[in-house]
Parts: sequence; C-alpha cells; structure tokens
Amino acid sequence: MTRGDGSFVSSCVKQDDTKEPSPCVLVVLLMKDKINNIANVVVPLAFVSFLLVIWEYTVRWRSIPDWILPGPLQIARTFAENAPMLTKHAQTTLTECLAGFAIAIAFSFVIAFLMDELPLVKKAIYPLVIASQTIPIVSVAPLFIIWFGYGILPKIIVVVLVCFFPIAISLLGGLAAVDKDYLELFRSMQATRLNIFRMVKLPLALPSFFSGLKISAAYSVMGAVIGEWLGAKQGLGGLGAYMTLAQRSFQVDRVFAAILAVTVCSAALFALVCLIEKITIPWNRLS
Amino acid sequence: MPEIVVEGVKKTLGGLLTLGDINIKAKDGAFAGILGPSGCGKSTLFNIISGLMQPDAGHVFIDGRDVTGRTGRVSYMRQKDLLLPSLNVLDNVSIPLVLKGWPKKKARAEAEKHLGRFGLAGFQGYYPGQLSGGMRQRAAMLRTYLFSSDILLLDEPFASLDAITKRQMHAWLIDVFYQIRPTVMFITHDVDEALYLCDKVYVLSECPTVVNLEIDVPFCRPQHGRTIVDPEYSAIRDAIMEALAI
Repeated sequence: MTRGDGSFVSSCVKQDDTKEPSPCVLVVLLMKDKINNIANVVVPLAFVSFLLVIWEYTVRWRSIPDWILPGPLQIARTFAENAPMLTKHAQTTLTECLAGFAIAIAFSFVIAFLMDELPLVKKAIYPLVIASQTIPIVSVAPLFIIWFGYGILPKIIVVVLVCFFPIAISLLGGLAAVDKDYLELFRSMQATRLNIFRMVKLPLALPSFFSGLKISAAYSVMGAVIGEWLGAKQGLGGLGAYMTLAQRSFQVDRVFAAILAVTVCSAALFALVCLIEKITIPWNRLS
Repeated sequence: MPEIVVEGVKKTLGGLLTLGDINIKAKDGAFAGILGPSGCGKSTLFNIISGLMQPDAGHVFIDGRDVTGRTGRVSYMRQKDLLLPSLNVLDNVSIPLVLKGWPKKKARAEAEKHLGRFGLAGFQGYYPGQLSGGMRQRAAMLRTYLFSSDILLLDEPFASLDAITKRQMHAWLIDVFYQIRPTVMFITHDVDEALYLCDKVYVLSECPTVVNLEIDVPFCRPQHGRTIVDPEYSAIRDAIMEALAI
C-alpha cells in the first residue's frame, strides 16, 4: 500500500517546494522581517527617550529643585555613583524574594495537589486561598515585624503572601482544566492516581502554572520592598530600607535610583522565569 | 480468543435511559462497525466495554470472560488524539507499556519496532505539536495497539480529519488490519466509512438506544480503494439509511 504514510508526507514536502518564492522576493521578505524586528526595538526606545527628554527639559526649564523632582540625568548620575551600595542592598532584597518565591511555589504545589485530589480539602481551603489575597499586605506586615523581629523572616513571609495566590490559583486552574478524556484514557489503561497526576495533569497544567509564576515574579520584589519599608536592621536592609532612608533625608534622586534598581530586579526575575519556562516546557511553543 | 460480546447492556445516565438493551458481538478477527446518530450513547457503550463504566444491567465478555466494569483488558481510541504535548512520539506511544510496569528503555525499544507499520518511522523524536492530524491519529492508534494488540476499540478515530486524509487513513488502516488481524470495533456516523471498512455493521437508534439493524457487508475493504460498485452496495446502503431514519 503506497497510499499510506509515505506518499502523504512527500506530497506535503512537494507542495512546499512549489510554493517557494523566487530569490528576489525572498530578499525583500527578509528585509521586511529585519525592518520589522528593528522597529520593534526602536519604536519603544524612541518613545521612552522622548518622555525622558521632556522630563529633563521640564525640570530644567521650571528649575524644579532636586529634593522635589530630580531630572533623569541627575538620577542616572546618582544611580551610577551609588551602584555598589545599591547592588549590596539589591542582594538582600533578591535573597528575600527568591526565598519567599521558593516557599510560595512549594506551598502552592502541596496545596494544589491536595485540593485537586481531595474535593473535601478543596471545599475547605478554597475560601482561605482567596482570603489570603484580600489581606491588605501593608496592614499585616507591621504585625510580622512585631512577631518575628527586624530580621529577614518577616520580609520572606510578605513575599510568600504576595506570591502564593497567583501561583496557587494558576496551578489549580491548570489542573482543573485538564481534558477529562485524558483522565478516562489513562484510567482505562489502569494508570494509578499518582501516575495520572505525574504524567498527565502536571505537564498539562505547567503552561498555566508558568503564567502565574510570571505574575508572581514581578510582584515578589514589590513584596520584599514593602516588608523592608516597615523596618529593617541597621546595615544592609535591602532596597526598601535604602528607599525609606533616602526619603526621610529628602534625597529624592536616591529614591528614584532605588526605584530603578527595584524595576531592574523585577524585570530580571521575570526574565529568569521566562527562561526556566522555555527550558522546562519547550513543547509549549510548538502547538 | 479475542472476541467481544456485549449482552443485554442497559445504562441510565442523568435520569435518561441512554442504552436500552444492547446486544453486540465482534468475533475473532472481525471488523464490526457501530453506526448511530450523534448523542445516541456510542461512547457510553465503549466506556462500558473498556470497563470505565458499570452498566445497570447486562454483561461484557471478552475472550469468554466476564469483564463487566473492570478496566485493563482493552483501552480505546477517541476522536481526539489525546497525545501528551509534553512527550515526544516514542514516549507517548510507549505509555501503555510503562503503565504495565515495563522499564522505560524496554518499553521504548518495543514501541520503536512498531513505528514503521504505523507510518511513524523517523518521527519518534517529534512532539505531537509538530505532526499532522493524520500522523497524530496513527500515533494514538499505535498507543491503543500497544495496550491490547488483539482488540482495537476505535471511537470515530478519523472524524476530525479532512476528507482526503481520512481516505488515506482508511487505506492505511485496512493495510494494518490485514497485517495484525485484530478484532476491531469501530464507531462512526459516516455510512460510507462503515461500508468501506467493516464486515459487519450495527445500526443504533436514537435514545433509548437499541440495535435497529444488524447487517453483514460482503464487499468491504476492496483491494483497489476506489468507489465500490458491487450491485449489493446500494441495497445495503439504503437499508442502513432507512434504519437511521434518514
């Protein structure tokens, strides 16, 4: 039987051959692609630069004092001058972030697994999971400081609180969205519950899990900074502590430099999660 | 002997009598078709045969043994390929062997032997997202085959394919059928597909489902793969159409 697979594949290939554009057209298409790529980078950069120029110009033209609003050039200068100090503080902040992030992920996995496997647990815990998100962090963070002191622990707890909800909800949503036919198929092949979870549910829920993880990654730095604002030990209290200190002494340029550092940290964490996603679920980009 | 006998199966789903009283038989090496309007409980029937669902009454015998409500003897292939996007073709098709407790390496080696027959040679490293619809269905069928090689339950396996690919798959399936000689039960709502592939066709009614017509197809699986011109063709086709009340 030749009408089976072989001819099917070769006919696909043949079609591609006939549709291939001439070299001239190809060059134009490639150039168009390249121009598009360049435009994707240049347009946003140009717009941001435009805004920065307006900012700088306004500050100089209205001669606004530094302690109210410094210009971007001044902020850049402060950022460069304080870079070593900011890096050290950023290390503290990032340590808190990563620790909190890791705990939130582990916790989400346990909770999501239990809730997915045991409907009773889901009924009992779901309202609590939602409630964890409605708690105003700024109001409970001081309590953590009272309970756990000025060390690193209360900051980690804040990060966990901030990150837990998006991760847990996206993981749960991913697990619940798995096509029932998959489960039936695997049950008909006598797969155990653990096998079904490991082989079917978890991999199929991973894309959803990673979208929650990206949100959390961006939030986690903010969580740590809020924790640090409210109080830190002397010395390296993180970017939040640095920020409050600068604010109290009206060094607004330093506040902005710290904000810039926070942004860089958040973006870096986000990029890290994207990278891990690409490595863990390469198949997700195929379909 | 891989023979499937469904005896007096009844099932009520959500207060609605879905399966009235179903008696169906697929003899060793037979290719039995089950034709019916959509929503008539064809898939429920397969769920019962594969043991996923317990019937309210009646029994399912496979190889002469009562397997009613017990999984493990047969699995079935659905319209959706249900391949795991996270695994490549080889790992996907070796799942049933791994679930049976084979070591991964041995399961892969065993599955690899069958890739050629199922038109997947050279594609073992591909992910489902990279394959055409026809190839995905063939991979799904290989997975079903590796679970139980002597009985294949196929639930509208080609319904989601385009007409041309579907025709190619028919020819391919006939080819494979003659090579491995399994007992096949084939659900479809395409009359011509049933007449083309099956040597026996059961026509089911609407809910509550009973077998309206049981008919032997003498001219099935023609060698040439072209339009069937057997004089009996139109008579049998009309009888089926009538049983379907079209």
